[in-house]
Amino acid sequence: MANRHLSGPILSARNLSVESLGGKERFPVLTDLNFSLEPGKILGLVGESGAGKSMIGRTISQFLPHGFAVTKGTLEFGGEDLVGMAAERRRNLLGREIAFIPQEPLSGLNPVLSVGQQMKEHLLRIGLAPGENWKQRALKEFEAVHLPHGAALLDRYPHQLSGGMCQRILIAMAFASRPRLLIADEPTTALDVTIQARIVKLIAEMQKRDGTAVIFITHDLRLASQISDEIMVLYAGRPAERGPAKQLFSAPAHPYTRCLQLANPTITGPRRGLYILPERMPGLRVLKDLKGCRFASRCPNAVEACTLTEPPLVDIGPNHIAACIRTEKTPEIVPPPLAPGREVTTGTTQLRGEKLTKAYTTAWSPFASRTSFKAVNSVDFTLGEGEFVGIVGESGSGKSSLARLVVGLDTPTDGKLTLAGRDVTANGNADRAYRRDYIQMVFQDPQSALNPRRRIGSIVTQANEATGAYNSQQERMNRASELLKEIGLPPDAAMRFPSQLSGGQKQRVNIARALCTLPKILVADEIVSGLDVSVQAQLLDLLLKLRDEHGFSMLFISHDLSVVRYLCDRVMVMYRGEVVESGRTEAVFSEPQHPYTRSLLAAVPPDDVEKEWSPVLAEAGYQVE
Amino acid sequence: MRMFATIAKLLVKRVLTAIPILLVVSALLFCILRILPVDPAAMSLPPNATLEEIETMRSEMGLDRPLYEQYGIWLNQLLHGNIGRSIHFRQDVTSLIGNTLPATIELAVIAMMVATVFGLAGGLFLFYVRGTRLEAVTDFFSILLLSLPEFLWSLFLLLIFGVFFEVLPFTGRLSPGFERPVVTGFLLLDSLITGNIATFFNALQHMILPCLALGIALSPSLMRVLRSSLLDAYQDDYIHQARLRGLSEKRILVRHGLKNAILPTLSLMGVQFGFLFGGTLLVEIIYSYPGMGNLMVDAIRNADLPIIQGAGLTYCIAVLVISIIVDSLYLILNPKLRVR
Repeated sequence: MANRHLSGPILSARNLSVESLGGKERFPVLTDLNFSLEPGKILGLVGESGAGKSMIGRTISQFLPHGFAVTKGTLEFGGEDLVGMAAERRRNLLGREIAFIPQEPLSGLNPVLSVGQQMKEHLLRIGLAPGENWKQRALKEFEAVHLPHGAALLDRYPHQLSGGMCQRILIAMAFASRPRLLIADEPTTALDVTIQARIVKLIAEMQKRDGTAVIFITHDLRLASQISDEIMVLYAGRPAERGPAKQLFSAPAHPYTRCLQLANPTITGPRRGLYILPERMPGLRVLKDLKGCRFASRCPNAVEACTLTEPPLVDIGPNHIAACIRTEKTPEIVPPPLAPGREVTTGTTQLRGEKLTKAYTTAWSPFASRTSFKAVNSVDFTLGEGEFVGIVGESGSGKSSLARLVVGLDTPTDGKLTLAGRDVTANGNADRAYRRDYIQMVFQDPQSALNPRRRIGSIVTQANEATGAYNSQQERMNRASELLKEIGLPPDAAMRFPSQLSGGQKQRVNIARALCTLPKILVADEIVSGLDVSVQAQLLDLLLKLRDEHGFSMLFISHDLSVVRYLCDRVMVMYRGEVVESGRTEAVFSEPQHPYTRSLLAAVPPDDVEKEWSPVLAEAGYQVE
Repeated sequence: MRMFATIAKLLVKRVLTAIPILLVVSALLFCILRILPVDPAAMSLPPNATLEEIETMRSEMGLDRPLYEQYGIWLNQLLHGNIGRSIHFRQDVTSLIGNTLPATIELAVIAMMVATVFGLAGGLFLFYVRGTRLEAVTDFFSILLLSLPEFLWSLFLLLIFGVFFEVLPFTGRLSPGFERPVVTGFLLLDSLITGNIATFFNALQHMILPCLALGIALSPSLMRVLRSSLLDAYQDDYIHQARLRGLSEKRILVRHGLKNAILPTLSLMGVQFGFLFGGTLLVEIIYSYPGMGNLMVDAIRNADLPIIQGAGLTYCIAVLVISIIVDSLYLILNPKLRVR
């Protein structure tokens, strides 16, 4: 703490390169990183998955994956060489001077130790003030991160707390030692929008209190531009662009930054088309054979010169650089127009729910009285032919429970569900057979939704096993290649296994499987969350294209309001099992009536960096945690 | 405290569910053994008895009544602590089991302690050498150990330490000439209570070889489970997060890794301990150890139905008790089970 007021950067990297040396081949992981981080400043690190964002945190802690090593350049913390320093000295810095906040708050805490035990362990290590006991100190730190009932919290275990609370505890731990540097690796990705806003604001508040320098890693350029002073965009392990946050966001110089920005749907202003980045980022293993710009293969502005040599970093403005030889052409990249015929007129009603309710009752036990909880409470809704209806709300609001009722995975306890004129509320065997032809579901996580031991061709035509539509193997394979063509995968993908596909490709297969028997209704539960914005844009446009071809309607569940705004004709806002507001998407988002809808919208970082982001941090009667 | 309330709840629940289990087991034992083509009446009489004498004996023993009535009588006797009389030993089954059960429990508990020490140490060692060149060697040895059964260990140890070096005794529980105090039936305990140190050490010497044999045979699977659970735990974020907080590797292992990895190991130990009650049999025979195993072998050889029934029930109760203990330990160590 004594050298806190030393001038100069807290963290500086010069030509820092990390390579994988173990294994059969050597390949670059991070290439020529240059940056310096002043005390009290926030550096945003942005890029798609695999760009090397998290590797920077691991380089700082020197907990690199097996076989990875710094091969060039320097990385200094407060003037000390972090890479060459003795391991014991570095460990001494970790948790005291350099703190980390993880991506998954629930798994970042040890499940078998109470919050108090973990807090105590950390506080005793970083040292207490004379005469202070760890409990008082823990409560003080909890208070600083706005955790109420701190004393009761000490006896709790992580599984008894929400993700937001666990993240607050981890933030309290991180800031307890008044660190000089904080690395926050996607700290809000696993959380709801409203909680994301609170956590981000909290990190900013704590960082101001202690004058901590922060590296904020995120895949969300919009979020980074709101919180950071400076942003560095990484592409395939190399910086594509670095500059002051607001300037970089409002006038991106590198085509990649611009494309990323345009691939993300907006939350305000007129709806625009999404820029579709083709293919995906080159894998690390092919980089060493790549001569020119790493982005060239996907860049709309690429010319032959781009593929010959790696582009140098050019100055764009004060402290603003980009690795591109044609930065003047970047503003010419514009989003495609919204596809014509987007506004469908609502056809006949396909699906209608009236006072639909699902109550869960706790299992009988001689030791406790049974309690009942309504996951879905008296919900009225309709879904017209060819209509996309979005369902938004936080986790626990009943979105997924409603979806399960619609597809027949659960039976309603009250109310009525009508599908194409037939009452299917009872969910009997005949209802199920009937429903199967009408409704299919796309699941959230393609990783676990696709059977790893089946080939893609057999997965996408799985629905035939129930209906028996394509009986012969030949017919089935034909149907599979038709489907793969529609979702934009090569026909030979039919013979592959899910593990041989990328995350985006798997989600396409997941969609194709639901479309196999040409259902009239799709139910999609968070199918784009956890994917990169580029892949998300590809999938959203794929869904719109498929609707034009087949005319199905869809219930689209998402916690991402801008995605719903782009894709859906109507939207329903759910809170604690009830629909609190519904209507045409444009109308609901531009003039929200219900306070809960307003707080949801306010939690989304605005499209305009100049506009102040003022999430409603607490709304009377609508507490979130 | 909440934890004790939960454990008390578990105990009540488990004892209540144990009753129907015991009823089913007792009915099974009774029926199966009655179907066996042995006539208890004929067996309890001298070989030169006449058919009439046998018939009289049959009605005296209630063997001419319907099966369910016989079961009712037997169950009623059982509830009064009377399992019957051994046909062969001419002694109450209760006292026979009362004499041999403590010996087997003593053997099983100490063997389990040996297995735990070897299992934990071995598991930690296997985990420690992960990813190094030593791993291939340790893998080889852990599989080798896994494939050696306890009776082979018994023979090895007996030959080496008992016969070749002659440093340890290998028959019975006590050498001749030592006084045998009886308080609880547990020899080690009783000799300590009565202050009979000479007997204590002599009994301990007798236990070393059989307990080592059993413990060594049980430990390889514990080692491997502990190692793989530790490897799993080290994949988890909280371990990485603990490192990023600057905790030492030793602390991470003991406080964060082991605390999580011990849970699967503990449930395996519960299963093994249950098996030990039947599994001491071969070792008891090899070391002429006067426990339940030897009693069972004698009983089966002589078709001594009352002993077989009594031993079967004892085994069932032992397994139920062990599983309740393991589940309570689980509750203490795993807060996730303590919800509500």
